[in-house]
Amino acid sequence: MRKVEKSVADKYFKIRTTMIIIFLLIGFSVSFGVAFFAESIHEAGTTIMGMPAHYYMGAQGAVVTFVILLFLNSIISDQVDKKFGIDEKQNVQISGSGADH
Amino acid sequence: MDQQSLVSLLLILLTFALYIGISIYNRAKVTSDFYVASRGIPPLWNGMAIGGDWMSAASFIGMAGTVMMLGYDGLAYIMGWTGGYLLLTFLLAPQLRKYGRFTVPEFIGDRFDSNIARLIGAIATIIISFTYIIGQLSGSGVVIGRLLNLPASTGVMVGVVVIAIYASLGGMKGVTWTQVAQYMILITAYIIPIVFMSLQITGNPLPWLTYGNIVNELGAIDAELGLSEYFAPFDDGNRAQFLALLFTLMVGTAALPHVIVRFYTVTTMKAARWSGAWALLFIALLYLSAPAYAAFSRFVIMTQVVGQPIDELPGWTESWVNTGLLEIADSGGDGILQWEDLVIHQDIVVMATPEIANLGMFVVGLVAAGAMAAALSTAGGLLITISSSFAHDIYYRLMRPDATDSNRLRAGRIAIVLSTIAAGLVALDPPGVITQIIAWAFGLAGGTFFPVLFLGVWWKRMNAQGAIAGMLGGLGVTLSYIFLSMNGITLFGIQDTGAGVFGVTANLILVIVVSLLTPAPSQRLQDEVTDLRYPEQMTYKDGEVWMNDGTEK
Repeated sequence: MRKVEKSVADKYFKIRTTMIIIFLLIGFSVSFGVAFFAESIHEAGTTIMGMPAHYYMGAQGAVVTFVILLFLNSIISDQVDKKFGIDEKQNVQISGSGADH
Repeated sequence: MDQQSLVSLLLILLTFALYIGISIYNRAKVTSDFYVASRGIPPLWNGMAIGGDWMSAASFIGMAGTVMMLGYDGLAYIMGWTGGYLLLTFLLAPQLRKYGRFTVPEFIGDRFDSNIARLIGAIATIIISFTYIIGQLSGSGVVIGRLLNLPASTGVMVGVVVIAIYASLGGMKGVTWTQVAQYMILITAYIIPIVFMSLQITGNPLPWLTYGNIVNELGAIDAELGLSEYFAPFDDGNRAQFLALLFTLMVGTAALPHVIVRFYTVTTMKAARWSGAWALLFIALLYLSAPAYAAFSRFVIMTQVVGQPIDELPGWTESWVNTGLLEIADSGGDGILQWEDLVIHQDIVVMATPEIANLGMFVVGLVAAGAMAAALSTAGGLLITISSSFAHDIYYRLMRPDATDSNRLRAGRIAIVLSTIAAGLVALDPPGVITQIIAWAFGLAGGTFFPVLFLGVWWKRMNAQGAIAGMLGGLGVTLSYIFLSMNGITLFGIQDTGAGVFGVTANLILVIVVSLLTPAPSQRLQDEVTDLRYPEQMTYKDGEVWMNDGTEK
C-alpha cells in the first residue's frame, strides 16, 4: 500500500466527472435537444441520408452517437487509469476477493 | 399441422434443447454462481447477455410496428430505450459494481444501513419485475400460439416449463450464457428478413443506408392522400408528451433491477464500463433496424395494398386477415381499398415481413424461434431478479442471516420455480391492462429507484430517511399521476406513459430535502461512498486515498 496525494486523487475524480458531464451533455442534445426543435428542423427541410434531419436523428443519429459516446468513455477512461498508474490485474484481484458478499 | 408449423416447431425445439444444454453445462454450485455468475463474465459476452436480457418479446415483435403506426412520435421509444444505457453506464453501473453486492435491494439496504429501505427495495423490485414477466409470458404464448396454430395457453405452459428448468439449474451463470445464445438467435432472425426486403425494394442489401429515401417517399405519399406526413413531428401527441415519454423511458431503463444486476456479473468497474458499451452496440443493431422495418412495411402497404381493388390484393394479405392482425373494410363502396379502411395491428410488421418478401419456411420458422428467444431471455433475467429478492434479500438478509451457503442456494432454486409457476398462472389469463402496466413499469422503476441509486452512489450526505422518503414518495407520485391522467386530468398534456417525469422529480426533491433535515449518515457509510470515486486499486479511508500496489503497508 502506498499513499496517494490528495491532489492526485482529487484530480482523478475531477477528470472522470468532467468526462461524464461532457458525454451526457452531448447525449442529451442529440436526443432531447433535437426533439425539442423538431418542428423548426422539419420546416427548414434539411435532410440527412435522404430523410428529414429530425427523423434521421431520432431513428439513427442519436443511437449511433450514444454507442460512440460509450466506447469513447471506455477507451478514454482506460487511458486515464493508465496515466494514474492503475493496474487492471490488481483491480481484478482486489474485487475478486470480495466476490462472495 | 401444416409443413410451416412443423418447420417452426422443429426450430423452436432445437433452440430449447440448446438452452437447457447450456444451463446443464454451466450448473450453479455456490450462491455467487447463482446470483452473479461468480462475477467472471467477460465484458463483451456480458454486453451480449445484456442485449438478450433487455430486448423482450415486445421489442422484437412490436416495436417496428409502433414506429410504423406513429411515425416520428414512435422514435421516442428508439431513443429512450437506448439512451437509458448512457445514464446507466455513466452514472450507476461502475459504482454499483465496486460496492459489490448481489442485488439492487441489497445495495439500498447496506448503503443506507436500513432494513426498512432494504424491504421497500425488495418489494418494489418484485412488483416491477413480476408485471414485466407476465407480459413476457403472455406475449410469447400469443406469438407462439399464433405461429404454431396452438391455443395461447399452451404456448405459455411450454415457455414456463423451459424457463423453470434452465433458470433453476444454472442460476445467473446458466442464464447469462443462454442469454448470449438467445441474443445471437434473435438478432439473426431480426436482420435476415429486413436485408432481403431492402434488396427487393431498393436493390441494396444494407437496409440502414437505404430506407432514408423510402421515408421521404412515404411523406410524399401521405401528403398526396391528405394524411399528415409520416415524418412530421408531434402528430399524435404534443411536444411535452414526447419529451416526457423519452425521459421516462431513459430513466426507467437505467433503473430496472434486472438490467442493473447484469453489471454485477463482471469483474471490475472497467469491465462494467466496457459491458455498457458492448451492450448498447448489440442493442443498437436491433433498434437501428426497427425504423427500417417500419419504413419498408409501410411502403409495401401504401404501394401494393392501398388504392388497389379489394379483390386483387397481394396473396400474403389473405392469411393475415384470417389471423385478425389485418382488417379490411370497403367504406367507399367502390371496391378500391383506402388507407382509412385498413386496421393494422402493430405485431404484423415483423411477423409478416418474411412472407411479404417471400423468404420461405425456414426464415418464418427462424423468426418464430427469435421471438421465443427474445421472450425467454428477458424472462430468465427477470426470474433471477425476482427470486434473489425473495431468497437473498428477504430470506437470507432479513430472516435467516445464519443460513448456510447450500441452504441459500436451495432457497434461490425454490424461489425461481415458485415465481415461474406464479407468473405462468397469472399469464394464462392475463389481466386486460397488462400492456399498459408494462408501459407504466418504466415510470415506476424510474420514479422508485433512479434518484435513490444515483444520489446513493454520488452523494455521501444522503441517508436512510431520504432514501425511504424518496422511494415511497416517487412511487406514490408516479401512481397518482397515472391514475389522474387515466381520468383525464393532465399537466402540460403529458399522458400516463410520461408519468416518470413527475415521479423522478418528486423522488429527487424528497431525497435531498429529507436527507438534509435529518442527521448525516455514519462516517463509515460516507467513506464507503467517497471510495466509489476511485477504481478498485485505490481505497479511501480516514480522509486519505491509498493505492494497493501489492506491497504491505
